[in-house]
Amino acid sequence: MERSATSPSALTGAAKGNGDAVFAAIVRCSAALILLGLGGMVAVMAWGARGAFARFGPGFVFDKAWNPVTQHFGAAAPMFGTVITALLAILLAVPLAFGIAVWLTEIASARIAGVIGTLIQLLAAVPSIIFGMWGFAVLVPFMAHYVEPLASHTLGRVPGIGTLFRGAPYGTGFLTGGMILAVMITPFICAVMRDVFLSIPAVLKESAYGLGMTRWEVVRRIILPWSRSSVVGGVMLGLGRALGETMAITFVIGNANHIGWSLFSPGNTIASLIALEFPESAVGSLKFSSLMAAGFLLMLISLGTLVCSRLLLRTKAAGR
Amino acid sequence: MTVAQNDAAPAAISVRNLDFYYGAHHALKNISIDFPQGQVTGMIGPSGCGKSTLLRVLNRMYDLYPGQRATGEVIFDGCNIIGPKVNLNVLRSRVGMVFQKPTPFPMSIYDNIAFGVRLHERLDRAAMEARVEDVLRRVALWPEVRDRLRDSAAALSGGQQQRLCIARTIATRPEVVLLDEPTSALDPVSTARIEELLDELKADFTIAIVTHNLQQAARCADQVAFFYMGEVVEVDSADRMFTTPREKRTQDYITGRFG
Repeated sequence: MERSATSPSALTGAAKGNGDAVFAAIVRCSAALILLGLGGMVAVMAWGARGAFARFGPGFVFDKAWNPVTQHFGAAAPMFGTVITALLAILLAVPLAFGIAVWLTEIASARIAGVIGTLIQLLAAVPSIIFGMWGFAVLVPFMAHYVEPLASHTLGRVPGIGTLFRGAPYGTGFLTGGMILAVMITPFICAVMRDVFLSIPAVLKESAYGLGMTRWEVVRRIILPWSRSSVVGGVMLGLGRALGETMAITFVIGNANHIGWSLFSPGNTIASLIALEFPESAVGSLKFSSLMAAGFLLMLISLGTLVCSRLLLRTKAAGR
Repeated sequence: MTVAQNDAAPAAISVRNLDFYYGAHHALKNISIDFPQGQVTGMIGPSGCGKSTLLRVLNRMYDLYPGQRATGEVIFDGCNIIGPKVNLNVLRSRVGMVFQKPTPFPMSIYDNIAFGVRLHERLDRAAMEARVEDVLRRVALWPEVRDRLRDSAAALSGGQQQRLCIARTIATRPEVVLLDEPTSALDPVSTARIEELLDELKADFTIAIVTHNLQQAARCADQVAFFYMGEVVEVDSADRMFTTPREKRTQDYITGRFG
């Protein structure tokens, strides 16, 4: 029987209705919206920042003054604070997350690992304002009364690294900020590490144990080399979050526009600076523009971190 | 159960009244079997009959997993190795294991072998190179890899990787080598090479091999054990087992009536 071009079983001609084409257009638009949103955000930040960059030039990045009275603004101090607190957070969180992940995947029994794993995920779901209040009410007094006096009397006397641990024990400061961030990013890093460790074939680990390796040797020589790039990727994700965290750190950083090598000294970060000063700056003022410029720099730092992690993850994919 | 000790070779490992549990599941039921020194013991039986489980008891691999436990006696070098005070790292260096799928470590061919040796012995560079060459020659891999020892082991073919894993296992000079279906992921040519290899290795090692391939058991093994539902049904020399089995279940299995 000859089929007409419009019969339902014809191989050519329009599909039933235009449903497919409409659907494709909708999803394409959704994807384009993301691109537009991201591009628009960068553009708005750059446009808002133009006043500050025109007035201060590239020196804005290296200038540590932030003086609304003399209308003199620079982003060096908050950038310093942002990077220092994020690095401190990584320094504290990575070993902790690594330890938890190894314990969860290699040592704990399945039932306990399940419970603890869920608790860690819950920790990731705690809103940052809660961490901020906890930090202010508990961590800051604890640091001021116990940790900082003790550290400056002991570590503070060690030549070289002593500088890091000297100064008045305010409780607030870079170290406390880094600690709060560490608590917040540990669950993220830990979750990535746990997933990667779980993806290692059991038989590979068994052959390693089968040669007579200890747990530490298996972790050090088999698990880490196998998962190195993914672990680094997870750490970068944590770093990205630490760089941009606002609420919790604003509570405990001390909010002083200050650069110094004492970990106890108060400082600020780009995010905390913007959170505190944005509401009190008039739209179109030089201060407003400077805050936008600082935000723009924060975005560059975060995007740079993310790009680095992507590149690392891609090297892994290509290497396999 | 019918046990006929085939000859006077002393046992490298003696299993007596062994029970094994995966949680509540009773996987090995009152097993007794000897692994004679310098011989190949083939372990056959349908899937889930407990033969791989027994291998995992012999080097305490089950210890990695909570909820798995063994009771009874497994005597190796005068010591009950399922007792509490056994140093597992030393045990596993003396009872090596090769798995179903090749498991090269994420490092170079050379390091795959040298790494295991370094865990237990301190060798200078020359001695280590000699050891690596020696074991690679023994598994007939040396001509194929001598020029690329520093390349990643992942680049080798499946059969080459499996021979590398055997080399890695014998490089630590164990007394017993356990093989868990070592050729099931390999092509016939690679399989034949590994079977030849077993024949040479038994001069120096006691070998226990789990296999689904009855011909392989007949070709390689001196002694064969037939496992069924967590029990050892029959242990005998390979010749007798495949020609005149004494148990009906053994006969049914080797003639292909079930399994």
